[in-house]
Amino acid sequence: MPFTFPHFGSLTHVFEVVMREAGKNDLILPKKPNRKTAELGARYSPEFICTPFKLTLGTYIEMLEEGADELGSGSCHSWCRFGYYWPVQKLILEDLGYDFKFICLDYLRPSILLKTLQKEIGNNCSLQQAIRAFRIGWIKNRFTDLVDNLLYSYRVIETEKGLSEKIAEKAYRIIVETKELRNMKKLRKQLPEFFEKNIDVQKKDDLIKIGICGELYVVYEPSLNLDIHKKLNELGIVVENTVSLRSYLDIGLKLNPFVKSPYKTAIKAAKPYIENKCGGETLENVGDIVLGKKHGNDGMVHLYPFTCMPEIITRSLIPQISREHDIPVLSLVLDEHTGEAGFHTRLEAYADMLIRRKMK
Amino acid sequence: MKKRVGFPNALLFYKYSVLWTTFFQELGAEIIISPETNKIIKDLGVKYAPDEDCYSTKLYFGHTLYLKDKVDYLFIPRLGSDHEVNVGCPKFIALAEVLKSMFPDIPKIIMPFFSMAKKGHGRFKILRIIFSIGFRFTINPFRILISGKRAFDAQFKYEKGLKISEEELQKWENSEISLQNLSILEQRETPLRIALVGHSYVINDDLSSVSIKNLLLSRGIDLITPEQMPKVLIEKQMEKLDYNMYFNYAREILGTAMHFIENNSIDGILQLIIFSCGIDSIIGEMSARYSSRKPGTPLLQLVIDELSSETGVLTRIEAFLDMIERKNKFRRKELICHSHSLILDH
Repeated sequence: MPFTFPHFGSLTHVFEVVMREAGKNDLILPKKPNRKTAELGARYSPEFICTPFKLTLGTYIEMLEEGADELGSGSCHSWCRFGYYWPVQKLILEDLGYDFKFICLDYLRPSILLKTLQKEIGNNCSLQQAIRAFRIGWIKNRFTDLVDNLLYSYRVIETEKGLSEKIAEKAYRIIVETKELRNMKKLRKQLPEFFEKNIDVQKKDDLIKIGICGELYVVYEPSLNLDIHKKLNELGIVVENTVSLRSYLDIGLKLNPFVKSPYKTAIKAAKPYIENKCGGETLENVGDIVLGKKHGNDGMVHLYPFTCMPEIITRSLIPQISREHDIPVLSLVLDEHTGEAGFHTRLEAYADMLIRRKMK
Repeated sequence: MKKRVGFPNALLFYKYSVLWTTFFQELGAEIIISPETNKIIKDLGVKYAPDEDCYSTKLYFGHTLYLKDKVDYLFIPRLGSDHEVNVGCPKFIALAEVLKSMFPDIPKIIMPFFSMAKKGHGRFKILRIIFSIGFRFTINPFRILISGKRAFDAQFKYEKGLKISEEELQKWENSEISLQNLSILEQRETPLRIALVGHSYVINDDLSSVSIKNLLLSRGIDLITPEQMPKVLIEKQMEKLDYNMYFNYAREILGTAMHFIENNSIDGILQLIIFSCGIDSIIGEMSARYSSRKPGTPLLQLVIDELSSETGVLTRIEAFLDMIERKNKFRRKELICHSHSLILDH
């Protein structure tokens, strides 16, 4: 029974590791979505559902054609449509005549997630193995985030174009292939060294740095956000992702009393604007924008898919935060129709504005 | 002088109007409810609301801005969920804060937060909310308690009066009783029964539903809405699904549609979908898929936004009704032919 899951930027590597650790070796790795995938998904999707639904549906159809018959999907039970993705996708795929089974992982409730890992993915493996797989998942997620952010800063100053991407690709493979926990701990030092050794850089000072926040899937998936990180890097801007899946999954960080979770700090900072959780990453995003200047960012970019329910709230609050904290925020809506040229123009204008602000 | 409290007449006000107004009335506040949605309110909403919000939220902005200079307080509760497990819409939680952020000059907003599913709020929290609001209007704690009690009693009574019982529904499905005024129904020779499915704040709002309810009533059609459906039947339908329908307000709508699709006991289902409503995009697709798997009861889905015109909607509804009538005539003829052939066989 080949198992597959949607492509999710660099997190694809993390999902792969978790599935393999839980004992699922019959994996078909998802292809990177492209324009055709988006078109395929949009053809069968409801009219005004959020864009991640369309892309993941397109990926599922492509992977089912390739022979997968167990589909992994996330699920949640919160103020967001994400938990309805698999029921609706199941109805659509059944009507299209495919034969498959959905396995859904509820990432907001770890106890249920562990049970699914143990029973359905791990083929009744021991609970210990499921917990181990989950734990390795969040630990490796820390390193993929680290590599992401290294890539986004090295790509600006590299002398040979395209080298850092190749190195990052290698680094992801190293993360996936590192087996024992002892060796994993060393990665924290090894990965920055690996980048430093292999990439010749031309040091520039006074680089502009911006943070990217928004809805998780859009921030992570380069085929949906039109590789905004690369575009900004080419304009000479260092970028950093402020959101991460770790805000839900990194239980090690949550339990550790000596480390302050950046996600908790962000939620605290968001209090004056919005008090209560309202689905998605609203609170984290509002907090990240408030704290943007404190973290050394010259500006923030906020990304969200069209008709996303929680992020529209963030979008409505941004003007006030931007005014009060004197930080420029660019809010961008993305869907499968977003044109590359128009998108690029807006980013260029934003970059110019930041440069002028910094020179003053 | 009495303090004036304003209630925007949109979204959840259609569900909890009795509870909220009774409570503030008993406290001794002057109640100001914005009028039924009209052209001025719609234009205000469309002009000032965030352009990606759903049409109903835009109207809510219009109502609030209309009330802006007429009241001392605005009452906009942040309702996360009113069920142990299931949640509401995320926009209901953030409405008050977004309004405050976008329009700094609006009056003070009373915004109690209540979320049963995620925070485990219960009776104690309700009591705290009642007192924290009450002390703004009176210093007498007994008066606050009594007004709270009266408000909840009134709400329960109102909800009980709205729902019909299972027997009544069965009788209605067998066309033994009618839910609407009889004088309306007499315009028609053959009775037509249609379920009008959608959010309560769409169906009952004449402007945002393009007055579909009145249109159907004027044609002598017997209507049922999700608000009237017995809760037991809806829960029964929800148990058949292999996932939990965790949007609490969607349960009623999908449950009603699924009940009639399954039982095939009425002439048609008309679903109103608000453009870019997150919940509607899901349940619209679901009911369409379930209906295509069990055809029998025709389902018409209308997507409504601020650009919908009355004539366009009218044409589609007329076509839908014509189709139902033709179908019924055909079925009747088939039945007669069937009985004829039975007689001939004997």
